[in-house]
Amino acid sequence: MSSPLLGEFLRSRGVTRRDFLQFCTTTAALMGLSPALLPRVAAALEQARRPSVIWLPFQECTGCTESITRAHGSTLESLIFQGISLDYQHTLQAAAGEAAERARETAMQENWGRYLLIVDGSIPTGNKGFSTVAGRDNLSLLQHVAGGAAAIVALGSCAAFGGIPGANPNPTGAVAVSAVVKDKPIINVSGCPPIPVVITGVLTQYLTFGKLPELDALGRPRSFYGQTIHDRCYRRPFYERGQFADSFDDEGARQGWCLYKLGCRGPTTHNACATVKWNDGTSFPIEAGHGCIGCAEPGFWDKGGFYQPLSTGQWGSARTLGMAVGVGTALGVASAALARKRQKDAEDA
Amino acid sequence: MSLLDFARGPALQWSLGIFVVGVLWRLLGVLLLRTRKDLSEPRRDAAWKGLRLIALRSWPRKEFLGGTAFGEVLGYAFHIGFLLALFFYVPHVLFFADIARGLFGTDLHGLTGLNWPTLPNGVVTLLSAISIAALVAVLIHRIVSPVKRLISNFDDYFSWLVTIAPLATGMAAFAHLGGWPYERLLAVHLLSAELLLVWFPFGKLMHAFTIFVERGSTGMLFERKGASL
Amino acid sequence: MTGTTPTPREPDPLEFDQPRVSIRKPEHRFDSQGETPDASRVERAMNSFVRDFGRTAAVYMESCIHCGMCAEACHFYEVTQDPKYTPIWKLEPFKQAYKREYGPFAFVYRALNLKPKVTVDELQQWQHLLYDSCTVCGRCSLMCPMGIDIASLVSQARHGMFKAGLVPHELAAVTERARREGSPLGATPKVFADRCEWLSDEHEVEITIDKPRAEVLCAMSSIEIMKYPESVVATARIMRHVGADWTFRLDGYEATNFGLLTGDAAAQKELTLKIIHAAVACGASVVVLPECGHAYTALRWMGANMYGKPLPFKVMHIAEFLAEQVRAGKLRLRKLGKSATFHDPCQLVRRGGAIEAPREVLQALGVELREMYPTKGANWCCGGGGGVVAIHRADELRHKVFKIKMEQIEQTGAELPVTSCANCRQTFDDGQAHFKWDKTMHSLLELVADNLVEAEP
Ligand code: HEM
Ligand code: SF4
Ligand code: SF4
Ligand code: SF4
Ligand code: SF4
Repeated sequence: MSSPLLGEFLRSRGVTRRDFLQFCTTTAALMGLSPALLPRVAAALEQARRPSVIWLPFQECTGCTESITRAHGSTLESLIFQGISLDYQHTLQAAAGEAAERARETAMQENWGRYLLIVDGSIPTGNKGFSTVAGRDNLSLLQHVAGGAAAIVALGSCAAFGGIPGANPNPTGAVAVSAVVKDKPIINVSGCPPIPVVITGVLTQYLTFGKLPELDALGRPRSFYGQTIHDRCYRRPFYERGQFADSFDDEGARQGWCLYKLGCRGPTTHNACATVKWNDGTSFPIEAGHGCIGCAEPGFWDKGGFYQPLSTGQWGSARTLGMAVGVGTALGVASAALARKRQKDAEDA
Repeated sequence: MSLLDFARGPALQWSLGIFVVGVLWRLLGVLLLRTRKDLSEPRRDAAWKGLRLIALRSWPRKEFLGGTAFGEVLGYAFHIGFLLALFFYVPHVLFFADIARGLFGTDLHGLTGLNWPTLPNGVVTLLSAISIAALVAVLIHRIVSPVKRLISNFDDYFSWLVTIAPLATGMAAFAHLGGWPYERLLAVHLLSAELLLVWFPFGKLMHAFTIFVERGSTGMLFERKGASL
Repeated sequence: MTGTTPTPREPDPLEFDQPRVSIRKPEHRFDSQGETPDASRVERAMNSFVRDFGRTAAVYMESCIHCGMCAEACHFYEVTQDPKYTPIWKLEPFKQAYKREYGPFAFVYRALNLKPKVTVDELQQWQHLLYDSCTVCGRCSLMCPMGIDIASLVSQARHGMFKAGLVPHELAAVTERARREGSPLGATPKVFADRCEWLSDEHEVEITIDKPRAEVLCAMSSIEIMKYPESVVATARIMRHVGADWTFRLDGYEATNFGLLTGDAAAQKELTLKIIHAAVACGASVVVLPECGHAYTALRWMGANMYGKPLPFKVMHIAEFLAEQVRAGKLRLRKLGKSATFHDPCQLVRRGGAIEAPREVLQALGVELREMYPTKGANWCCGGGGGVVAIHRADELRHKVFKIKMEQIEQTGAELPVTSCANCRQTFDDGQAHFKWDKTMHSLLELVADNLVEAEP
């Protein structure tokens, strides 16, 4: 497949210079870049070659793909997405079977060492038959394709952390990309699913600067995952004042008070929902009245009930506490008795 | 099990258990010792009035103020900061509410009949910072003052450490310090608080309980004699 | 430096020609008594210490937070700024022993050897801190933010030291003498009787001795008998003036109790019981104690506990007795018209609670009372209490402490320094001589006796 420059491609699709700059501005702002860098971003994007991208879906629900393709019908993000030379994506591409696999092999050969690999879904490490593509098991396919990749984007919480397939009891032995591929740079774009602009933003960043963005300890781009939902949540003032909704239909909930007590994971979840929002910036879960369930964090499915407050500690039961009281009392009484006895012995001595 | 799960689960239960066992053990271990009835004729009958020493001794007599005011002010600074941050920071209150729910099936309001107030985060941050600064000053004072240095032992330094640790880790978690994932910071914060709970009954932190017994009994003893309080 | 008492040893000679009475400065000090092996000394000290322990002392031991504030209250620290004089540090070996032997976690401490066993060397070293440099004045007990009565712990520790046979030479000697002769400083019944007879002639005052039944039993301290005999006369005068039915008794006249100071509980009890039995024998309803602080503690606050039941009589310090007579209008006094300041004897005022009585008496004497700063409960100790004034090697330190007192008194500008404790008084006399100071301490008792207005016969 040919790979003209991105700028040309966009213009051929009728994108005006103005819209393009607007996109650059938004993306740069999202990435936390200074406005001074804007011309550079724009120039770099225009000149960028449409990179070859191979997308491998493994144990996934297609939510991530839905997120990026459906949510933003005709926006620039989706155009950018189209702008990349998506050489293999078996959910989206027309070709199937042998033809599709051949296309992948061709793209790999032509761009060996330079293509970007996007993975969504987790990789089963149990029975090889759990998940296969064209008769090939996920693990070996990943290892094969990763071999020629410049970098890997683990898209969505499944690819990034194991996600729902990896949740307890994890019947397929599902793991994250990073558990299997050790010798390639991996960008985790977590979320279940991730926010579309976050995906395109990361791609943009990669295209613009030709290098990986700065990552946090969990391999996520700091520019999008540097703050918690709670840090930027518009309900935060209620939290500070201790005004909490106690149920989903009480007065507090109607007043839009903080959802902490209803299990909101905002304080421990790093994602951009509170600022970027969903559905073209329409809203995000907390705005819709439901707490964050922490989908962008590892193991979010296994952290207790979604409606248990975050501060939950397992304090044990009143019975265990009662036992502690009993033991403490017994020891206290015994040590006092012992001391009295020593006293008596000393007196007799 | 993640570190945070460990901190929230087994570590919490064990530290709370050890705390309860230790406090009762130590308190009962001394309170159940024998007492001798004082047969002397009291000067004042209402010895209980000596209980006022509990409040009275909260500030030194003016005669002693010169050499002790510095230490007292520092002491107040970190105690007030510590206690306010401990009991009135929103997540703490929710955490305690959770104990109440977990243990007694009712929230704090049901348990204490109080509408537990909370402090804005900014205030708590300031208080914690003051506490930390005061604690650092206390440590320096302990090291440079010949008297304090001489009479100090492991307990003094370790108790200092476990006191400042939750404050410091709490601030770190709040500020997302060190590039660690928030949950690890939170887990470390919880663990440091649990360390405090575990050490509490065995070191000098027990003064939080015994101080009332001591001041009270000395007060009553002295009041009975009409001696100076 | 210290040796073990060779037995038998000649009793140490007493010394009466000095500003303070003590035994003559020993050529060789014997600061440990008996021939016990070291290990059993420690054992005994700890046993005794443990035996005394009750709830209150245990709570005290549990909760010192090492804030060091007690140092600010102690005159020995004040004048030296030496951290070893920090009150609670004086108890360090005993604190260790408590944790190891007796506290709730004792077996943990023992099992892991967290607190090492106290050694005899440590105890010997601490003798200086527990005796020479603590007057058991209780000033520190007013400071401790935890409310620990540190002074009471020093007394307990002294019991241990006594059992270990690790008491300073002088205190051991006078206590031994007290048990043997009935008086620590040679005021034996015979000496006392002779003195009374002589004083009676000399001062033309009737001194009642051994009246079979009397309302009031008076006692004296040996310091008074041997050094300030005017106090004996003054007591007799005052008793006569107020028309009291009173007596001294040769089987219970000596209120000094070196058992208390030394830490010899048995001696303390023996000496206390003498007075109690004498009072019971003559059916007294009041025992009037002399101007002696620790005699007050010994009988007023500890007597009933030694006796095992409430005392069948009231115990009063002479200052309290005088105040009562003033209130009853029975004392007719000449107005002095001078300015005076009152030195508060620690055991009487701070720890004893007789705070206002001496001041009421001074009022009745018509003096202008100029309080020192600090005063009353917080007043500085003279530095000689708790047996310290008897210990020769403590002189230098005690004199340093005395400077505080001189300064305090100078600052009041008062003409008459007055106190109501013979032990304070001799400490002042000694300090006065040492510093060639121009102020002499007066006795409240003698001041009253000298200013009685007798009704025309
Ligand atoms: C609730 C009642 C409490 C009271 C009345 C109390 C009182 C005191 C006082 C009077 C002091 C001596 C002041 C000084 O040295 O400046 C002190 C020292 C201290 N307290 Fe507390 N306290 C309480 C609770 C606590 C708690 C909950 C902690 C920590 C968990 C704590 C930690 C400390 C520490 C570490 C010191 C020693 C400071 C040093 O190194 O000198 N206290 N406390
Ligand atoms: S709703 Fe959630 S994210 Fe928002 S303030 Fe409350 S706890 Fe934080
Ligand atoms: S609000 Fe929380 S759970 Fe919801 S999408 Fe954002 S990160 Fe995921
Ligand atoms: S009792 Fe008096 S002399 Fe003894 S340590 Fe306390 S303040 Fe010092
Ligand atoms: S003042 Fe009290 S708590 Fe402080 S060091 Fe002295 S005895 Fe300990």
